[in-house]
Amino acid sequence: MNLSPHQSKLIMPAMLVLLVSLACVSLLVGDVNLSIRQILYGLYDHTSPSAMIVWNMRIPRLLTALLIGGALSMAGVVMQSFFRNSLANPGLLGVSSGSAAGAVIAIACGWSAISLWFLPAAALVGAFAATLGVLILAKRGASTERLLLAGVALNALLGAFTSYVLSQRIGLYEKNAQILFWLLGGLEDRSWEHVFIALPIVVTAIFLLPISRSMDLMSLGWNEAQSLGVDVRSIRRRMIILSTLLTAFSTAVVGAIGFVGLIVPHGLRLIVGPEHKRLLPLSFIAGAIFVITCDIIGRLAGGIQLGIITSLIGAPFFLYLLRKLP
Amino acid sequence: MNSLKVDLLSVPGRLSEISFTVDSGKVIGLVGPNGAGKSSLLQALAGLLVYSGNVYWNGTSLDKIPAIERARIASWIPQEAHFEFGFTVRSVVEQGRFAHGDDQLGINEVLTAFDLIALSDRPVNHLSAGERARVLLARACITEAPIQFWDEPLAALDPRHRLETLRIARKLALKGSIIILSLHDISQALGLDQVIVVNNGKLEAIGSPNEVLTDELLLRVFKVQASRNLSNLNLELPTKL
Repeated sequence: MNLSPHQSKLIMPAMLVLLVSLACVSLLVGDVNLSIRQILYGLYDHTSPSAMIVWNMRIPRLLTALLIGGALSMAGVVMQSFFRNSLANPGLLGVSSGSAAGAVIAIACGWSAISLWFLPAAALVGAFAATLGVLILAKRGASTERLLLAGVALNALLGAFTSYVLSQRIGLYEKNAQILFWLLGGLEDRSWEHVFIALPIVVTAIFLLPISRSMDLMSLGWNEAQSLGVDVRSIRRRMIILSTLLTAFSTAVVGAIGFVGLIVPHGLRLIVGPEHKRLLPLSFIAGAIFVITCDIIGRLAGGIQLGIITSLIGAPFFLYLLRKLP
Repeated sequence: MNSLKVDLLSVPGRLSEISFTVDSGKVIGLVGPNGAGKSSLLQALAGLLVYSGNVYWNGTSLDKIPAIERARIASWIPQEAHFEFGFTVRSVVEQGRFAHGDDQLGINEVLTAFDLIALSDRPVNHLSAGERARVLLARACITEAPIQFWDEPLAALDPRHRLETLRIARKLALKGSIIILSLHDISQALGLDQVIVVNNGKLEAIGSPNEVLTDELLLRVFKVQASRNLSNLNLELPTKL
């Protein structure tokens, strides 16, 4: 699926046009039917009846989808480069499981009812604690295999913990429903507060760009990269921290969304090649496109949660991509 | 004259107190039985393993200098290359200029030297083992590092590319580089300037091939009976291909 140099130059503008178009469609879709004219009125006239829906519901939802789609996709690129495996995903080091465990604790203990900020905060703490746990388990300077196995072990442990809490809350329908909603991942009722919580994603994504060249070399082997002049220890640390931040802020805001960080980088690499200077920014846009599309489909289908749609679309698409591999 | 001095280099469980000095302008074969420590020695010299002891280049210790500076002095090629992603041959070779600010100097020349021009836009993960080995050699040469550590660079190559690679090694040596290449075929070491023999993680011998590769050493270290008839097999590049 090699692109000609001419096609290569066009891919970024083409993807931006697609993103803007989908953003417009996203504003039109929702429980309340609004015409294009009402949307435009809502955008420009804050006193119009549609302004509340557009500004307080649809735009925050759209921006949240854009940020977390971009973040998860970029985190996937980083993890795939880190593990030198195109099947790696952002949750491999236990970030998502840790985040889920933190959120589940916050819901089960009733903290999430106290303030809107408590649930994301608990999810963030869980994500960082899990990543720290993996790094300690794998010890300093560990090989990818060791990190991977530590991640698998921690993912299993935290998964068991989450299931245990869920099983102990049987009968408390409301809390169980909240936990399930969070574990499935969704964009329902996302507000400006959620957008603000997700904003560090932009800074984190920008911090990844200067190490894109080092990531090229790292993805062909750590020893090779070091022998060619990459400060492997420093780049490894930055890759883990930045990928954890991207995944943690996404999961803290919308819950566990699967497949974005796996299929978007994988598919994009087949189209634009593996060089991170292009792959990283394009993966942010492609991830946003994918999540916004899934969200539109979910809403059109009567309110199916985002996490279900990403998996429903992602899995067959992934199988299709695998068929294209040599 | 530039020199590489290795002083009591040890890696726990792998290498024990290895010391030697080699001067620039030499192509040096590193031989030893399987598991003797050839790859470990090359990795340690390239700064990829934690070691005790010291490695000096022209009297300056290479231990504490940043990776990017060390990369300008020493280059290393692994025994096997695993390419997961479809970087093109050209982009992998270009990585050799990372320590020089990715200036892409001399890329076409080195691609031509290793017979890779026709493959330059091919993804490396679609290449044969021999082609991949040539990509790694090209990437190492483009670094212009005065010390080259090559781990089994000839193992996957066909006879013609083996001779081409040895010719390029000789050219680099004439420009003042030191090339240390591990070999599992002892007869290939006969035409080199020096031979280092390692066994059980220790330095067994160092010197010219004729001095070092005696019948006694071959029997003791490699457990083989030497037959000098084979040394008469002299391979050379044809004058016209």
